[in-house]
Amino acid sequence: MKISMNWLKEYLPVEHSVEEIANKVSLTGIESAPVKLGTDLSKLVVGHINSIKPHPDSDHLNLCQVDIGEAEDVQIVCGAPNVAADQYVIVALDGADLPAGKKIKKGEIRGQVSNGMICGLDELGVKESLVPTAYQKGIYVFPAAEKPGADAKELLGLNDEMVDLDITPNRADTLGMRGAAWEIGATYDKKPAFTDPKIDDSKVESVNDVTINIKADNLVTDYLARTVSGVKVAESPLWMQRRLWNQGIQPVNNIVDAANYVMIELGEPVQIYDLDKLTDKAVTVEMATDASKLVLDDKITKDLNHDDLVINSGNDTIGLAGVTQGQKAVVTNETKNILIESAVFDGTSVRKAAQRHDLRGDASNRFEKGVDNGAVEISLNRVVELINDITDVKSISQILVGKETPAKPTIIKASIEHVNRLMGITLSDQEMIKILDRLGFTTEENGDELTVTIPSRRWDMTIEADLIEEIMRIYGYENLKGTLPSGNETNGGYTPQREFINKLKNVLLSEGMDETITFGLVSKKEATDFNTIDSEYTRVLHPMTEDHEYLRTSLIPGLIKTIAYNKARKTTDIAIFEQGRIFDREEGNDRPKEVEYIAGALAGNLGADTWNTNAKAVDFYDIKAIIEELLGFLNVDATFEFLPSEKIQNLHPGQTAVITADEKTVGFVGKLHPEYQANSSVDDTYVFELNVDSLLALAKKNVKAQSAPKYPSINRDLAILVDKKIASGQIVKDIFNNGGEYLKDVNIFDVYQGSNIDVGHKSLGYHLIFQNPNDTLTDDTVEKAFTQIKDSLIDQFDVEVR
Amino acid sequence: MSLNDKLKELRESGIDDAKRAEHLKDLNDLRVKLLGKKGPITQALRGMKDVPKEERPEIGTLANNVKKDIQEAIEARIQEVNQRIIAQKLQEETLDVTLPAQGHKIGTKHILNQTIEDIEQFFIGLGYEVAPGYEVEEDHYNFERLNIPKDHPARDMQDTFYITNELLMRTQTSAQEGRDMDAHDFSKGPLKMISPGIVYRRDDDDATHSHQFHQLEGLVVDKNISMADLKGTLEALCRHVFGPDREIRFRPSFFPFTEPSVEVDVSCFNCGGEGCRICKYTGWIEVLGAGLTHPNVLEMSGIDHTKYSAFAFGLGPERFAMLKYGIDDIRDFYTNDIRFLEQFKGVN
Repeated sequence: MKISMNWLKEYLPVEHSVEEIANKVSLTGIESAPVKLGTDLSKLVVGHINSIKPHPDSDHLNLCQVDIGEAEDVQIVCGAPNVAADQYVIVALDGADLPAGKKIKKGEIRGQVSNGMICGLDELGVKESLVPTAYQKGIYVFPAAEKPGADAKELLGLNDEMVDLDITPNRADTLGMRGAAWEIGATYDKKPAFTDPKIDDSKVESVNDVTINIKADNLVTDYLARTVSGVKVAESPLWMQRRLWNQGIQPVNNIVDAANYVMIELGEPVQIYDLDKLTDKAVTVEMATDASKLVLDDKITKDLNHDDLVINSGNDTIGLAGVTQGQKAVVTNETKNILIESAVFDGTSVRKAAQRHDLRGDASNRFEKGVDNGAVEISLNRVVELINDITDVKSISQILVGKETPAKPTIIKASIEHVNRLMGITLSDQEMIKILDRLGFTTEENGDELTVTIPSRRWDMTIEADLIEEIMRIYGYENLKGTLPSGNETNGGYTPQREFINKLKNVLLSEGMDETITFGLVSKKEATDFNTIDSEYTRVLHPMTEDHEYLRTSLIPGLIKTIAYNKARKTTDIAIFEQGRIFDREEGNDRPKEVEYIAGALAGNLGADTWNTNAKAVDFYDIKAIIEELLGFLNVDATFEFLPSEKIQNLHPGQTAVITADEKTVGFVGKLHPEYQANSSVDDTYVFELNVDSLLALAKKNVKAQSAPKYPSINRDLAILVDKKIASGQIVKDIFNNGGEYLKDVNIFDVYQGSNIDVGHKSLGYHLIFQNPNDTLTDDTVEKAFTQIKDSLIDQFDVEVR
Repeated sequence: MSLNDKLKELRESGIDDAKRAEHLKDLNDLRVKLLGKKGPITQALRGMKDVPKEERPEIGTLANNVKKDIQEAIEARIQEVNQRIIAQKLQEETLDVTLPAQGHKIGTKHILNQTIEDIEQFFIGLGYEVAPGYEVEEDHYNFERLNIPKDHPARDMQDTFYITNELLMRTQTSAQEGRDMDAHDFSKGPLKMISPGIVYRRDDDDATHSHQFHQLEGLVVDKNISMADLKGTLEALCRHVFGPDREIRFRPSFFPFTEPSVEVDVSCFNCGGEGCRICKYTGWIEVLGAGLTHPNVLEMSGIDHTKYSAFAFGLGPERFAMLKYGIDDIRDFYTNDIRFLEQFKGVN
């Protein structure tokens, strides 16, 4: 809310600049910004149109003779449809500045001298929606006589300076000028002074012919009303209009404006109905019946239901409580008698209704954040006072009480020692009491205990911690000296899982892969494409877009999307990985398990064509090498295997392996299926995905240091011819199974199929390395093992040893 | 010609030959030829029998000197030739060292994770545990345990992706507070934790909003934790991240789960507080929210708020990284343009 300095000064003697106040209030209470109106306006005066005649050379322009307080009238050409003689208007003189750098110059319009411009409010920078409807399509006309030549900018409030309070939800007490005055006053150690409204007793009648019936008792704390008869609906006086448009409220008429004015002044929304349009002069506050309607205007009707708290009169719904009024009993130019409602409605109910019907506004905003139930009567009386001052009404009813809940001050006890300890400061009792007094709180002291009485306008205050905050902020956070917690030492660090993840990521980084982060919420397609864990899908109830609707079941789609994104930007050589969670939900559970995964992708080339190197297109074995290096770093005893798999959807059936650790699946690696690849707008891409949690669960290797071997190793080469369907992994496994305890390593050095080899066969060559760590191996021992290996291969796989 | 003269002549021609030799092989041959058993000096000495006895020692000495001189001449020449060969080799092997090298490339850690890990390391040094949390969280922990009951207006501040009525994508890493306080054994000392992770809000993605972003929550629960402790801790953090000369300031704010609550500003690292475009000419940049944990939040974890107190803070790694590196579009973190990612090689 914007706090006008002109208005604030009625309550509080502040002389500081708005910049200074905004800064200070930001540091002690509420984030604020200075606002200065009309800095781009100059040379605007009041003009009185003494006479008007049509421009001889135009069908819509008029020549106005305008008194601008000078010795002689000046002629101004005006094209506004609503210009007329005897109006008091805004004149921009020769040389005047208007918004957006516009400058007014004396000149001729179709041969007629024009000494300036008669202006509309929008031309002075007032938003069109805030200009009174009658003046939206033309010039603004002052509602009463003003002195010609007087400073129009000042009269219109367009020289006002304001402090814009950006309140947090707990500080709705400053959504009224009075509350703001208390806050700014506390900041500067000054108490605001207010005058309570006075009702003209001579006009108060004891007759009470309106019935108020509160049926929804739990949602209404207070409901007071007065009727006023003999009002004269007209434009509001200028002082009221200008304060309203500066608050972002469009002036309507003196009745509606008075209610809005009081909402700004006291923070309490007030509603006014045309009494003569109420059925049987009765109002009932109750829940709407399903399928009932609230007609807002000729175009908009809201369908109500039993969750809506409404104001009914007979069979008509005249208002949505705390939100808006309907068309039925709205105050019009013909209104003579009114009912003024000042009430406190349940904030949650108001908030939900306003959200449901898309009608959030100044009133609902205040109710949902809370209003002072100690100011219901004063607000009611203030509206009556204003309307009587402006329109000199005939009579005023006594207060009609629908419901009244006494406003009670809040009592909070605080320990001086506790306040100081929690803040890390050393304020004396007197310093604390003084700060509380600045806020308008009264304090009784009893030893270490302060008993603080808080007026109902600060309904946000409920516990000692609230009080501590008030003391601290007014004392000033700048006075707080930083310390570090002084308690016992603790051992900080990562969880074992996080340590493990850091290690895995470091291996992939060293392998040249860049780390990416993609979205956890994905499209249905992305949730489906690599659901190798066979998870149920988990969907958010109200997604923003179809692209982010399901929780991911794999990291692969995000990697592929990243590759496609980069390819579209001409980056095609890509090595990336992501570490993150995937969501694995079992049928029957709402909640998915969150499993840490790590996945990578390679596309394009490794290396580059340069003056001394050649690029190499990535292939399956490049990504497999990375995985093997990664698995090597796990420091586990498990046996890892890459088992050929044709079954993972969207992967190439001939270039895919499931990765197992001790025969349990921990992930997969493969090339994207050519069709999937094409649909995903990427080139040849190789991917892998590993379950981090499964890898972490593997038993750690117990490493014991061994000296480097002292005895020489013996090598044997083995060349075999074998059916090409037999995987090398099977051969190697068999070699190890039969190689005896001294077989140290098996390295494949040749894979060949083609000419000179039987169709359907391939030739494989292996180096076998034998070593006894404790003795020199004899050829005999090695030969025995070698024979056993060959025999088994012949037996198992029908190989031909060459 | 006398033997004497003959030897002198051999010396002269031998040294001369050595000096003129161009190759190591020639020098070797020369040595064998002149100094070998069948060489001219040995041959010449065979004529010693014709030399008078008394002159023989002199001739013998001369012959040895001649041998030595030729030997030295050959050695010297070998040195020279070797030098020349090395010089030539060096010449031949000279490279253009300005040509670019192609080697094994190391990947770049995502800038958000670099930012997070930098902050983690700072807090680990202060004895904080790094706690993981759940990205799918119960309404209970995400809201209710944080003093945000159903129908609380503060829920409007965070538009939430619900999965069921009770299950949601967590909107804040503060959701971890309740879980960690429940699990902590206070007889073993204070709880000091940070919890980094991904959070989700129902926002349209644009330059300043992302429906997925990161947060890092911090929480310290102990006897006598004070607002001053919070200030000192965050002061040290901001100096670690933004530079040793930084100051911080607290401004009052509101979060349902802290009371008092503050927004924390750091003095502008670009202008040092003078006022510039980055700090919008205020000299200060808002970096995080914090406060003393609300008594209700402690009590919901069964912690007696009259004996214990706590501070909590929450910061946005995206915001930290954007400020520190001048990134102006939050979407850049998630589109993973390789050129964007790789510019942050090794920054932290």
